[in-house]
Amino acid sequence: MRKTSKRLALALALTLPLSLAACAGQDEPDSGSTAPALAADDPLGDASGTLTPQNPTTLSVWLTTSQQVPAPDNKITQLLKDKLGVTLEYEIVTPDNVDQKIGVMLAGGEYPDLIGTTDLKMRLLEGGALLRLDDMLDSGDYENLATHVDGYRGKMSYTGGEVDDGLYIFPNYNRVYGEVTGGTHYGTAFWIQKRVLEDAGWPDITNMTLDKYFGMIEDYAAKNPETDGQKTIGFELLTSVGYEWGMTNPPAFLSGHPNNGGVIVDDNDKATIYANTDVAKEWYTKLNEEYNKGIVDPESFTLTHDQYNAKIATGAVLGMHDQGWNFQTSTQSLQAAGQDSYTYVPLMPVYEGAEPYYADRDVMNTNQGFGISSTTDKSEQAMRFLDTMLSEPWQKVLSWGIEGEDYEVGDDGMFYRTEQQRTNGKDLTWRSSNRLDALLDVLPKHNGQFTDGNAYSPDDQPDEFYATLSDYDKTVMEAYDKQTWRQFVNTPPENAVYYPAWSITLSDEANEVNQQIADTTVQNLPKAISGSVADFDANWQAYVDTFDQIDVKVYEDAINAGIQDRIKNWSE
Amino acid sequence: MAQTVIQQAPARVIPKNKKKKLKVLWSQRALLIMSVPLLLYAILFRYVPIYGWAIAFQDYKPGKRSIFTGQEWVGFDNFVKLFTGLMGERFIRAFINTIGQSLLTLVVSTIGAIILALMMNEVRSLIFKRIVQNITYMPHFLSWIIVTGMVSVALALPSSGGFINSLLMSLHIISEPVLFLSEPSYFWGVVAGSNLWKELGWNTILYMAAMTAISPDLYEAASIDGAGRYRKMWSITLPSIRPTIIILLIMNTGWIMSTNFEIPYFLGNGLVAETAETIDVFVLRYGYQLGNYSLAVVAGIFKTIVAIILVGLANFISGRLGEETLV
Repeated sequence: MRKTSKRLALALALTLPLSLAACAGQDEPDSGSTAPALAADDPLGDASGTLTPQNPTTLSVWLTTSQQVPAPDNKITQLLKDKLGVTLEYEIVTPDNVDQKIGVMLAGGEYPDLIGTTDLKMRLLEGGALLRLDDMLDSGDYENLATHVDGYRGKMSYTGGEVDDGLYIFPNYNRVYGEVTGGTHYGTAFWIQKRVLEDAGWPDITNMTLDKYFGMIEDYAAKNPETDGQKTIGFELLTSVGYEWGMTNPPAFLSGHPNNGGVIVDDNDKATIYANTDVAKEWYTKLNEEYNKGIVDPESFTLTHDQYNAKIATGAVLGMHDQGWNFQTSTQSLQAAGQDSYTYVPLMPVYEGAEPYYADRDVMNTNQGFGISSTTDKSEQAMRFLDTMLSEPWQKVLSWGIEGEDYEVGDDGMFYRTEQQRTNGKDLTWRSSNRLDALLDVLPKHNGQFTDGNAYSPDDQPDEFYATLSDYDKTVMEAYDKQTWRQFVNTPPENAVYYPAWSITLSDEANEVNQQIADTTVQNLPKAISGSVADFDANWQAYVDTFDQIDVKVYEDAINAGIQDRIKNWSE
Repeated sequence: MAQTVIQQAPARVIPKNKKKKLKVLWSQRALLIMSVPLLLYAILFRYVPIYGWAIAFQDYKPGKRSIFTGQEWVGFDNFVKLFTGLMGERFIRAFINTIGQSLLTLVVSTIGAIILALMMNEVRSLIFKRIVQNITYMPHFLSWIIVTGMVSVALALPSSGGFINSLLMSLHIISEPVLFLSEPSYFWGVVAGSNLWKELGWNTILYMAAMTAISPDLYEAASIDGAGRYRKMWSITLPSIRPTIIILLIMNTGWIMSTNFEIPYFLGNGLVAETAETIDVFVLRYGYQLGNYSLAVVAGIFKTIVAIILVGLANFISGRLGEETLV
């Protein structure tokens, strides 16, 4: 059982590909020019005078991201040098290698100046690699950062007791300013290809159930056994290592609970594991049935994450349970090929009597983001850099780009892009020379809206969103009388204080139990799903028996303690 | 100077044979001095790091403190944890898989390499021989991540490019495609097969070299006695390369515990975990990734001890059978 929208971060990073840029500013866009003498009122300059082109600063940056390394000729890199005199030396570690890397770093005890971590086990923090930032923050010199933490300080602070309590990391996503305006649903859903709905004559998709969902897929697959010469795949199950939640999370959603990872939290804030309960059994029974009807892809269990995405990108897969951000690249490649009917609409099947709670309010990524290392002698510059990057002018440069090059400003002051600019934004090669995706992925962000009413990124801008919809997508929207994909899922209620439970940091013992639970599900459930219908009960029992050997109470207790801890510390 | 003293001073009192030994040592002093850097290298990089085994007896937390100061000592707790209970079952399973996969790989690839070497030794056309050699070496230089990618495609369903299934079906050996990678009983075979494909040509190098050293007189004599081609292979070539085979087998036994990380890691999945998970994968999952370094070290110690026993055993057996030994 895994934390689910573990990297909503990634999701949002992936929205950036659609974005173009702008410095709110009025600076000459020619970033390649030699550094001009900076007026004190340059919106991209550092008014405090710490970071100036006359006094160059080199900062080493270590960060975890799956975003690409910027190209050497990157224009924002040049802009950083011209405006602030800052040169960044990156060391970028991909998430699948980070576990090993962190151990090595800690053992060495030498750290770069800035550390961008997404480690939910907080090993760098607890290992003493990070500097406690409260004193610097309280000096009042860092206005943007101070605003950023205002009202959320308890939530952003560390209270685990291994090192002094306090603020160490500025969260990278979803400290929301203003309103959330995006049109895309990046969260969880049972996705269905648009052509399936079209073929069924845009059926009613409210009050969705598993039977209805799989019914539509079965009908379509029977009528269209082949897609572009390939065998049509009814349902792809996501089970690859680290993404097991594709298979194990549905019981919570089907029974009307939001994404708390491996547990369902009841009204009294008590968390219980559901992997071995009846809500889970109902889901796996259905999967077993569908597998034997040939709807669930038999290759599901052996696909790596890349192969899974590649399969979706072929357009042959009619449906799957997944989080929107996770197959974003596949969606983009389908869109780029003009095959919008092969892209997906989010649906929310539930069990009898349950209310769908698939979509949640955007959750702040606590404990993930940038901190400053405990061994640096440039803490002041590093802090000033983070503060400057969080200013609105720089945030616009980072997420929209340069005005006139990457986006335009309408007469009403709203940002928009030309077709060429939109195309650029989807081009990964272009992005590596014109964006700092890797850095921005971990930097604290001005999610939501800027003070001038523009959305944080192009993808969140309502007009931009609608303008980038293809004609086919507009047809789908019209058929269901909706304006955004978000309207296809439930309107999220206010999140519970502790939400989400999957981001609770666990002790070593609890992590171990969590791993054992994940292994048990991954090793036993595929057998139950792919076995014959007659054997299902026996296979299920075998699974439950194995499961019962695990000391799950250790895990539940840890989660419950975490929930109580958050209720105590986060209720501000 | 020091050596001179040693040689002269005690010379009068020690027995004669000891004196002789010292003389030999003295006469070989140049060689001894040359071997000192290597000895230091071995000590520094092979023996000194063993102090890290201390971690096995601690509740080790990296970062804040050094190994010896400030870590909590827990005695044999980590050993108990690794070898008992749920963890113990997993570990023993991983142990069996490690041994099983390695032995199967060792047997298959040794036999495969010897057969290929024998065949190439018989080839008269030099050009053809070179071409075959080059083609079979080539996969050795591919990294495992590429090879496992190729294997997973090759073994997939025909609709995903699985040509092995297509081939078997067109030959009417099977009627339905087989999901090779989701059936636990095939996994060891997949490991051995992938290794055979990748390393076959490379493994023949030493055997081929050994074969070139065989005196042509032997073959001539055999021909005169009326031996055919197969007879010569069996009675001359194979016995002549036997020492090479034995030495390579003994040396490879030392690797039994530490090979096979990549294939189980990249191709293993939940369905086949019971035969796929090896000690190294287990250590990565439950040791490094969970930050439980102590457990990883315990597993490492266990592996080292088993490996030493295996090599010792192979050496001993070989010696008993009157064959070559390492020491």
